[in-house]
Amino acid sequence: MMSSLLSVKNVEAFIQQYHILHDISLEVQSGEVTVLLGRNGAGKTTTLRTIMGLNKVSKGDITYNGEQIINEQPYRIANKGIGYVPEDQGIFGELTVGENMRVAVKKEDERTTKRMEWILDLFPDLKKYWKKQGGQLSGGQKQMLAIARAFVNENDLLLIDEPSKGLAPIIVEKVTESIQQMKEHATILLVEQNFQMASNTGDHFYIIDDGQTVLNGKMNELQENQELKRKYLGIL
Amino acid sequence: MNIQNLEKSTWFYLCITLLLFILPMVITERSLQFIIIQIFIFGIFAMSYDLLLGYTGIISFGHVIFFGLGAYTTGIALDRLGATIGSLVIGAFIGVLLAAFVSLLVGMLTLRLKSHFYAMLTLALSGLFLVAAEKWRPMTGGNDGFTFRLPDIIREPNHLYILCLIFFVLIFFGLRRLTNSPFGKVLMAIRENENRTTSLGYKVVYYKVIASIVSGVVASLAGVLYALSLRFVNTGVFATDLTIDVLLMTIIGGVGTLIGPIIGAGLVELAHHWLSSLADVHWIFERWIILYGTLYILVVIFFPLGIIGTIRSKLAGRNK
Amino acid sequence: MDLIINLVINGLATGMLIFLLASGLTLIFGLMSVLNFAHGGLFIWGAFTGVWAYQTSGSFTLGIGVAIVTGLVLGVITEKLIVRPVYGNHIQQILITLGFMLVLQEFIKVVFGPNQKAVFPPAFLEGSFIVGDIVFIKYRIFIIIVGLLVFMVASYILRRTRIGLIVRAGVMDKEMIQTLGVNIKVIFMSVFMIGSALAALSGMLHAPYSGVIYAEMGLEFSILAFIVVVIGGMGSFTGSMLAALLVGLAQAFMAYYFPALSLAVNMILMTIVLIFKPQGLFKVEGGAR
Repeated sequence: MMSSLLSVKNVEAFIQQYHILHDISLEVQSGEVTVLLGRNGAGKTTTLRTIMGLNKVSKGDITYNGEQIINEQPYRIANKGIGYVPEDQGIFGELTVGENMRVAVKKEDERTTKRMEWILDLFPDLKKYWKKQGGQLSGGQKQMLAIARAFVNENDLLLIDEPSKGLAPIIVEKVTESIQQMKEHATILLVEQNFQMASNTGDHFYIIDDGQTVLNGKMNELQENQELKRKYLGIL
Repeated sequence: MNIQNLEKSTWFYLCITLLLFILPMVITERSLQFIIIQIFIFGIFAMSYDLLLGYTGIISFGHVIFFGLGAYTTGIALDRLGATIGSLVIGAFIGVLLAAFVSLLVGMLTLRLKSHFYAMLTLALSGLFLVAAEKWRPMTGGNDGFTFRLPDIIREPNHLYILCLIFFVLIFFGLRRLTNSPFGKVLMAIRENENRTTSLGYKVVYYKVIASIVSGVVASLAGVLYALSLRFVNTGVFATDLTIDVLLMTIIGGVGTLIGPIIGAGLVELAHHWLSSLADVHWIFERWIILYGTLYILVVIFFPLGIIGTIRSKLAGRNK
Repeated sequence: MDLIINLVINGLATGMLIFLLASGLTLIFGLMSVLNFAHGGLFIWGAFTGVWAYQTSGSFTLGIGVAIVTGLVLGVITEKLIVRPVYGNHIQQILITLGFMLVLQEFIKVVFGPNQKAVFPPAFLEGSFIVGDIVFIKYRIFIIIVGLLVFMVASYILRRTRIGLIVRAGVMDKEMIQTLGVNIKVIFMSVFMIGSALAALSGMLHAPYSGVIYAEMGLEFSILAFIVVVIGGMGSFTGSMLAALLVGLAQAFMAYYFPALSLAVNMILMTIVLIFKPQGLFKVEGGAR
């Protein structure tokens, strides 16, 4: 078996007194796009937040690059090379697009500059609205900014939470395309409800139901299995 | 009569009440009696504060407003209308009415706000009342204050003692009843989780306003008795020091316990008395706020439940 | 005309002092939603230690330096011992910082004695100068200049440097900024220290302006700073400047035209703002949510 970049084993987590994650186990392989699927409220977002250190883990193990990252401070986890795009994009509304990027950049060296150029070529809109306030961007532009911000540092793993949420179909296509292109530079763990997008980008899938990872496999296998799709994803 | 149904703790409190009624026959020393009267008065004041802080989770830094209103209206009525029971009742009544009105107004305007806003707003508001009392010299005598005569019946110290005790006991049992009632349970729910209480369909602001009115009225009664016990009123009744005292009493004794603030009142009053007599021994006793403040900070960090709360949680732990 | 200009200058000078005091408080609140009731305590400690150094050495500059150092040191103590243990619990925070405020205030009396102290401006800032028909009091102009300088430097840092951007971003969304690899505790500590130093500086500059200092100013200025933070919008740096000037000017004009109302004017301003615009006049926009 290939060594995995991120490995989550039997993780349990609470939000206040509510037991949200019961038993989450998943492996993210280097260079792949792994997609978390499942109904609303199944615990997908909480899984990402827990990996990022924004939620405490009460039981289980999370290792990144072979290193324990369980219950570390979020900033330490980020500095190990994990980028995070939250569900609400987390754009700093009063900062301009440029400032949002600048806040993210940890060190201004040549490699970062190159990544910055690459990602701005991918999202030309960001260059166009460089001086516009983040709060005034459209939903799609915010999403691009959030992805670009997570990508600009040399992050090996990107956690992206529902990038298609609330976007027009044409924008979803664009975002899908950009994720396919980023695959060459980073490993991605994606939460996605839009099955079209998930199947177009994903290599591997995990289905989360009621706080547990119930099923996993190759994306193309799932695509053909109508029964599974109906059972866990409500797709007819 | 179903006397058997009374709770064990009620019997206990009734026994203590009885003892307190007999006490003035045992302790005849005037200055000691005076201290006990002060403990009753501040016990009432601290209980009213506990209803806000301990039961509802509202922090007011302006609770002296109501205390001061009660003290001033009583003093002014007895001074202007003559030293009769009639003018005492009128003064106290106006004080209670004003306290209810002010707490209603302040509550309606500001209880929707987050806790810090409310705390600061009430702190600033009490400052305004202090200034108003200072400036309205013809009525209040400003910082120098004024003395007044008591009606004949309560001029006898024992009678004043009994009057304070009656109020103290009635208010204690009244508030105990209130906090154990369904209304009290809603208040505690608000303290624990305001959003959830709202989503359960309770009009949180309405409950908070009612709690602050009750608390304001009780505080004004404490003010009435305070004026009577001193036969003197000055701007000190609006001073922030009093707010601090009542905070200390409530926190040290234990928030949300009613009995805790009374114990706190006793400790603080006795400490006031003894510490100021120690001032000749060492200067630090003159700056007793430092000792109190430090104690208070330590209590907030290490014993957020206070004396009674800590004892209760220890007992509950043992019974398990 | 002369009168109006002088009232404006007076108001601006008061406003600048309040701004120095309130700007730190607003950022501290914005970053960690900690409302520090002890902020006025740093103000008086700055005033008393600074004045002590100024009067014993004769050097006003040294006094300012000592005040700033006092602010930094007390800032660390307040953050570590008082605020950190109760972080996240608003009720405890309010209770404990108020208690600390009183301890700070009482300790002033222990160290410097209970009496108020008279303070005069240094010789080079004493007196006034005349331009045209208008008399300018030097010390007031000095305060306005210092306030503007601090505002410009701080604005530059907040707008142009990465650290400043991080602070502003933290005010908007403190979770997101951490996932970008920023240790927000370090940022918060630094802001707390600088905010405390500004409060202490404000106290020191205020001393010769009012001519007298006393321990009870601590609580008074805690309230004043809070009023400004509320009016300006919690977390808004520019808002705290504008609100401070508004309060300063309102106070100056009221004190002249309606002296009876001058003490109430801040309260009235705050109450109006709280009722009609509880987020303050210059609310900080959060992230996307």
